Amino acid sequence: MVNRDAQLYTIEGIAASLIILLTAYIVLNSTSIYTPGDSHINDMQLEVIGSDALSMMNTPVNGSAGTSALQAVIENNDSAGFNTIFSNILNNRTGATPDTIQFLANVTYVVPAGPNTGNVNTYRLNASRLLYGGEHAVRVSQWVIVDTYSPALGHDIFPECVFAQCRGKHAALVEVLLWRD
Amino acid sequence: MARLNDDAQWIVLMGFIVSFSLFFLAIVLNQATVVGQTTAEAVSEFPKEDIRGVRDVTIQSLFLDNNGPYTNQTNVQNEIRILSLNREDSVVQFSSQTDGTHTYLNFHYNNGVTAYNETYTYP
Repeated sequence: MVNRDAQLYTIEGIAASLIILLTAYIVLNSTSIYTPGDSHINDMQLEVIGSDALSMMNTPVNGSAGTSALQAVIENNDSAGFNTIFSNILNNRTGATPDTIQFLANVTYVVPAGPNTGNVNTYRLNASRLLYGGEHAVRVSQWVIVDTYSPALGHDIFPECVFAQCRGKHAALVEVLLWRD
Repeated sequence: MARLNDDAQWIVLMGFIVSFSLFFLAIVLNQATVVGQTTAEAVSEFPKEDIRGVRDVTIQSLFLDNNGPYTNQTNVQNEIRILSLNREDSVVQFSSQTDGTHTYLNFHYNNGVTAYNETYTYP
């Protein structure tokens, strides 16, 4: 039984089996399964686009100490203007066909006067269309300091404030939901 | 070969070397996808934009006047704290003092996972 025949056949066999095992291991190990939990990696791209768009809107012209476009939109309650500027920044791209990113923008603030003083409240700035429930949206936000009494409108911009009772500067958070159609 | 002669030893050796180096290349390729995913996850979990946003607005608030009757600075700074807690899920605490030449802003941010502390000095 034990003689010295076919030693190299045996070695070759062992080497070949090792090669097959390693190959199978690497091939099986290389598959990565895309689970719902991994979708945040794609969402991150949309978040970056949205944050950049809001940052651009919140930068005053020429870096001056003046009002940024986003501040002006809120102080004048100019929802149509917000739609124009924000949609253009989000969706314009090289070539004729624009991107299809949709948004829903809210302004959140601390109620400065009236019976609900101190509560956090939200009003709608604008939306490219309403949410129906099937959208996979990401959230981005941008801080602004706004003058809550609007000379252009002749009244305060926060709904709770009437008769100019909360004039002065206040912090507000512009929160935007973004999704692709 | 199987009859134990000495021919073609180099060819066999080179065959083994090439096949094993292919394995190493395959392992490197195999790891590349995982490394990309881990990095992307680490980046997306770090609240970069949140920290940057609240830090920027806090620094802006330093330059507001605090005269009556509006007391802009006090109002804005309180609202930043409240809105951070309510809408950004983060505790923000800051205070500033001046020594005549410089103003120092001590800024702390914590969202339960990431903590960020900074002393901002101007001018």
